[in-house]
Amino acid sequence: MKKKYSIFQLARNALTGHKNWPLMWRSPEPREFYDVIIIGGGGHGLGTAYYLAKEHGLKNIAVIEKGWLGGGNTGRNTTIIRSNYLWDDSAHLYEHSLKLWESLSSQLNYNVMFSQRGVMNLAHNEHDIKEIKRRVSANNLNGIDSVWLNKEEIKKMVPIMNTDNLRYPVLGASYQPRGGVARHDAVAWGFAMRADEMGVDIIQNCEAQEIKTKNGKIEGVQTSKGFIRANKVGVVASGHTSVLAETAGIRLPLQSKPLQALVSEPIKPIINTVVMSAAVHAYVSQSDKGELVIGAGTDGYNSFTQRGGFNIIEETIRAMVELYPVFGKMKMLRQWGGIVDICPDASPIISKCDIEGLFFNCGWGTGGFKATPGSANVFAHTIAKNEPHQINAAFSLNRFTSGKLVDEHGAAAVAH
Amino acid sequence: MLLIQCPFCGTRDQSEFTNGGEAHVKRPDGSKEISDHEWGEYVFVRANPKGIFYERWVHLHGCRKWFNCVRDTSTDEILEVYKLTDPRPDINKFNKIVETPSGEPNVGSGNFTVKK
Amino acid sequence: MSDLNVKDNKFIQFHQKISFQFDGKKYFAFKGDTIASALLRNNISLVGRSFKYHRPRGIYTCGIEEPNALVQIISEHSEPNTRATIKKIYEGMQIESQNRWPSLENDIGSINSFLSPLFTAGFYYKTFMGPHKSFWKKIYEPVIRRAAGLGKPPKEFKAISNHMHHNVDITIVGAGLNGLLAAKSLINSNYDVLLIDQDDQLGGILNNSNKILSINNQQPSEFVKEIIQEIQNASNIQILKNTLVTTYNYIDHLIAIEDKFVGSKPTNDKVNSTLHKIRTSHVILSNGHIERFLSFQNNDLPGVMLSTAFEKYICRYGVSPSTQPVIFSNNSNSLSLIKKLISIGHKPRAYVDSRSGEEIETELFDTIHRNDIPIYTNSLIAAAHGKKHIEKVLIENNSGAISEIKTDYLCISGGINPDVHLFTQSKGILDWDEQHLTYKPYKSFQSTITIGSASGQFDFSKIDTELNEKLSIFNVDKIKLDIKTNVCSLLKVKKLWEVKSPSKSIWAKSFIDLQNDVTTKDIRQAISEGFDRIEHLKRFTTNSMGTDQGKISSINALGIVSDLLDKKVNEVGTTIYRPPYSPLSFAAIAGRNTYEFYDPERKSPIHSWHLSKGAVFEDVGQWKRPWYFPLNSEESMHDAVQRESKSVREGAGILDGSTLGKIEIKGNDALTFMNLIYTNDFTKMKPGSSRYALMLGEDGMVKDDGIICKISDQHFIATTTTGGAANVLTCMEEYAQTEWPELNVYMNSITEQFATFNISGPKTRDIMQKVFPDIDFSNQTFPFMTFQFHTIDQIPIRIMRASFTGEMGYEIYVPAQQALKIWEKIHHFGSDFGLVPYGTETMHLLRAEKGYIIVGQDTDGSITPIDLGLNWMIGKSKKDFLGKRSLTRSDTIRPDRKQLVGIIPSNIDNHLEEGQHVVLEDKIQTPMPMLGHITSSYFSPTLNHSFGLAVIKNGHALIGTEAFVSTPDQKTIPVKIVNPVFYDQENQRLVS
Repeated sequence: MKKKYSIFQLARNALTGHKNWPLMWRSPEPREFYDVIIIGGGGHGLGTAYYLAKEHGLKNIAVIEKGWLGGGNTGRNTTIIRSNYLWDDSAHLYEHSLKLWESLSSQLNYNVMFSQRGVMNLAHNEHDIKEIKRRVSANNLNGIDSVWLNKEEIKKMVPIMNTDNLRYPVLGASYQPRGGVARHDAVAWGFAMRADEMGVDIIQNCEAQEIKTKNGKIEGVQTSKGFIRANKVGVVASGHTSVLAETAGIRLPLQSKPLQALVSEPIKPIINTVVMSAAVHAYVSQSDKGELVIGAGTDGYNSFTQRGGFNIIEETIRAMVELYPVFGKMKMLRQWGGIVDICPDASPIISKCDIEGLFFNCGWGTGGFKATPGSANVFAHTIAKNEPHQINAAFSLNRFTSGKLVDEHGAAAVAH
Repeated sequence: MLLIQCPFCGTRDQSEFTNGGEAHVKRPDGSKEISDHEWGEYVFVRANPKGIFYERWVHLHGCRKWFNCVRDTSTDEILEVYKLTDPRPDINKFNKIVETPSGEPNVGSGNFTVKK
Repeated sequence: MSDLNVKDNKFIQFHQKISFQFDGKKYFAFKGDTIASALLRNNISLVGRSFKYHRPRGIYTCGIEEPNALVQIISEHSEPNTRATIKKIYEGMQIESQNRWPSLENDIGSINSFLSPLFTAGFYYKTFMGPHKSFWKKIYEPVIRRAAGLGKPPKEFKAISNHMHHNVDITIVGAGLNGLLAAKSLINSNYDVLLIDQDDQLGGILNNSNKILSINNQQPSEFVKEIIQEIQNASNIQILKNTLVTTYNYIDHLIAIEDKFVGSKPTNDKVNSTLHKIRTSHVILSNGHIERFLSFQNNDLPGVMLSTAFEKYICRYGVSPSTQPVIFSNNSNSLSLIKKLISIGHKPRAYVDSRSGEEIETELFDTIHRNDIPIYTNSLIAAAHGKKHIEKVLIENNSGAISEIKTDYLCISGGINPDVHLFTQSKGILDWDEQHLTYKPYKSFQSTITIGSASGQFDFSKIDTELNEKLSIFNVDKIKLDIKTNVCSLLKVKKLWEVKSPSKSIWAKSFIDLQNDVTTKDIRQAISEGFDRIEHLKRFTTNSMGTDQGKISSINALGIVSDLLDKKVNEVGTTIYRPPYSPLSFAAIAGRNTYEFYDPERKSPIHSWHLSKGAVFEDVGQWKRPWYFPLNSEESMHDAVQRESKSVREGAGILDGSTLGKIEIKGNDALTFMNLIYTNDFTKMKPGSSRYALMLGEDGMVKDDGIICKISDQHFIATTTTGGAANVLTCMEEYAQTEWPELNVYMNSITEQFATFNISGPKTRDIMQKVFPDIDFSNQTFPFMTFQFHTIDQIPIRIMRASFTGEMGYEIYVPAQQALKIWEKIHHFGSDFGLVPYGTETMHLLRAEKGYIIVGQDTDGSITPIDLGLNWMIGKSKKDFLGKRSLTRSDTIRPDRKQLVGIIPSNIDNHLEEGQHVVLEDKIQTPMPMLGHITSSYFSPTLNHSFGLAVIKNGHALIGTEAFVSTPDQKTIPVKIVNPVFYDQENQRLVS
């Protein structure tokens, strides 16, 4: 690592007016040819380039990004990190990621502020309880920290929660102590800086326009900065992945939908963990700055506008006000939307395809941020070795033909 | 929040409707043999274009009728609404706003605020 | 400060004294005062401490753009971060300053200011990583979190707010001069018009400034009064005051919030605020402009204020923060302030302009000279100094010489920006205006018209021309205006984004974002580190991310960046303006859709009976279902369920099954349709018979189940699960309309039209015979899985011989209105036979003993009928049904799929927990392979031990073998894998 960050560096720079900090990354023009081109300069894409260079010895790599790096869903999500997934395949993938998170700041020597303040998933009816207890048990047997909390234990951790006087009372919760939140931008910046140091060209404002193939093999990418040849291309373009795949004649089982989030005005600490509720579609944590960071649901239609309906915000806020009576006097500071690419089974695709040298990492839906280092790590492996890592073997494109889905919708319909 | 012209009831707020995904996808005839791959495509794969999109809506909290719609997914602008029995409108009659696959419209984009 | 000798006016009632508390001390002001004007009236300029460095901060503006003067309203459930410049005081209001400890004057946190050279932009990314990762969680983060945040958390608050919907033709946002004129033009037009203003007084600049002398020879106040009168009398215009438009959605959908308690304390029994949701055909944005500030060293000191704000305090509130402020500007916007000061006998101590004498407009120059105001041309304020209030300023001329002036106030104006927030929310595009050095609207995306300063039109003499042109689409009469003003005829701005600090000290600070304590040094550092995309810069420095969203400063930051990068401002771009325009109350957004109105409670027609019997309820979707019926407060759930279960097996029990979905399907092709929807083949089924049926998704997985009654080939009634009812109907309608429109079939929900009673147990037939003496319940005339229609006491009912408990039983369908009568009749006769009511828990236990599944509990969307051992339900000869093709994919024909089995503990004292997993090893060693999980588990009073259902890999083949089940405390218990039917495998009791 060329750039070293520490309190001593900070103090030394303070004395010189912070004029001598090194450049985080270069702004190179694209070369004619790369071994690997990653399309999409978000956390997953930059991380993929980082691990390709660091763990697989590849040097001639480019990340092309149509806007500014980290500007898609990486910079728009509610930063929740957890690995308490139900199915083995998901649990292993997200736990792999969580382990990488735990050492990411020191790995990158850049503080991504991974805050392991725990993640709570609430149960509001008997059906929720059964689902959540099942998940807790599966987590435990998979070696993932996960506990069932009763109402009193919840109340102790989140005293402001109204557990009783609401339409769907809080009956219990799962809790993963190692879960938490991180500073989303820092993840992209940290990966970008260290990838750049290892020679990866990060090319911003360079739009991938067509994936060129010949005789079933990848040729390169037509971009707004010209045609770039490549041996391998990895597409990590979240909402736009299926649009790019289409240019190579590949149809992906993805639908791009708006997902919204919002923050409140900053206040002093009031909630010290992450609380999610699937039943009332609301999750909340408090940022280090003091803002309540609140995630809402997706709109039901496809859209690339990064804008959703206000009705979705209303749904979320009313649940918040009901669940946390003190929030009534809070105010929404900003709301925004991103484009999430959703797979039919709510699990990602990290896979090669019928075209030699073309790889996809997509379908993360509403929860891709938590997977950033893990996804990048196994995707780099898949690209470098032309074979999936055992952790992402189940997340192949082929599952939609065989029917071997990894259905993480959580709960089927409530029924009696 | 969109405004949607139900072909049976007139213009109503989006909250009365539910989206049904891509239109003009024909369910394979059950009496014919098809491969796992073809069936998988039918069950799981739908078009997801940025730009002109033929889709279905149902006026769920209204007349409960299904209908088709042409919408530009890069701006959400609804270009045409038509009944299931109406022919599919020719794509060439609609302005193509997005020039490149992942490009953004000049106006109405979620990403740009300033004249280029 | 100077209280001006003003008489009562519509803004301030000077005869009405009001007391309020600030940081526990009592002060007086007048009705109509904002917190800010009240504090200024009391000579208070230190109002809060800044976010990061805890620097003293005062009142910077006189409106919604305020970055500094945020206070906590203790008397309103401790509402944090309230803008002192907007919120009006009322008698007894309690206000506290924020982000200081122990007190505003002596704040420990201000040590941060000393350490500030360390706390530069993004410092936290570069440190706090050692010596061990636990330090972040245990030490660094708690300290950072406590230091951050502005106000304290509010108190619990049960909000009362409501929502109001509007559908109008034209919405005018902002009732300033342009908005009022636009509204007036539309009087008696064919358009429904909504005129919205955030203020309690319409008129905008006419109330708040000294800029306009006369309009058509009328005094501004007279003009406003008359025009408002006319608009109010118009039948096609509705005015919303105290209403702020915060959000401009697609398609021309506006969100606005109305404060219902301006100037008084909100009560708990009345609506506090109304959220207006406006759908309109046209939006006229006449929401004005916002003045920019300027960056120089210590430009954050209390006593530094925007020029227009200073003017507004005088004109609107009758309070002048100072009698002799220094004015610093790069444009002509302060002329009206100077004239106002002179008119009330005050005089600026100095006028400092970055422009040369020639560049300064003649009107401005003459006014200054005529009044002997010291003028410094080609000069800049290089720094302000003072402890907790400005005491002096340093003036630097173009040769670098610095002079010093003592002053208690400094008014600054860096130019004016059209307020484009709403316009960009609408996804309109901005363009850079080189003349006024600001962004202005360029191209609308929606039906948006911008007028006046909101459109970047700052010339009063062109108001009529612009209105005539832009309103011509509405076919309104043209207007002609004669406006005399106190402003220079053309607004000229000279580029000036910041004044370089004369001090080389590492502590010297020129702020670019006051609320987030972002300095111009931070901007430079960010650029030098490569954060040159404007969004990177924002995120790295937190510039414009405060509650004011950089309203007075973001353009200045863009200017600095474009200079540093040597790019045009348009190339730099702006960050996206995100809704809402100004922070929007959670309570208002929630409206009445919370608490008792959060979600409807659906209740069975005989809910009152359950209540009277002390039933405990369970939420199932929106339904309230009796869970169990405790005999008394002593009886536990377990005991009640054991008792209820035993009663059913030994005598009889009755369940209220009214919540089950019921769908009636009719039409010539109803049979064909039903054969396509369900797995079963209904072709050979006799009319009058019924059948248990499964519905799959196209992926082949079980989605719902129910009993299908065939009345004829053209008429069916289907039941669905309680939670699945709506989806099943929607699915049927979808396929009927979109896939098989050629089929003649109709369907309708009859769930709420009929109550359903499920009675079962060995004594059932005896009870039924008593209740319905005219019906023959013998096996010959009323066999299992048949149904009959009868009319009893003039009530049409349908009785079906069916059972979900494994005992012989009937389902009775009764019109909802008469349900209670029949239910009570059954109980009347049933009591002699020991009939008990039972709830869902007992139902679950009994059906599990019988191996009957519950969709959503024993299935989870990944289970096929074959996995459940229900192959017999699949119509083999059918060419097609939903999901059929999926059942033969490579993964669904895999023999080792998860399959339904029964589980009993080898040691019958053990209990199985639902959700625990079946494993092959008795020792838990993670990660370990899992066969599957326990989907249902109960203690059976009949078997006298715990038993469960499970879906496990290769389950059908494993029946008869042994395995282990995990426990919540990470142990295992040995179990046997068995057939999932535990009770009456031969079905003798069903058909008895």
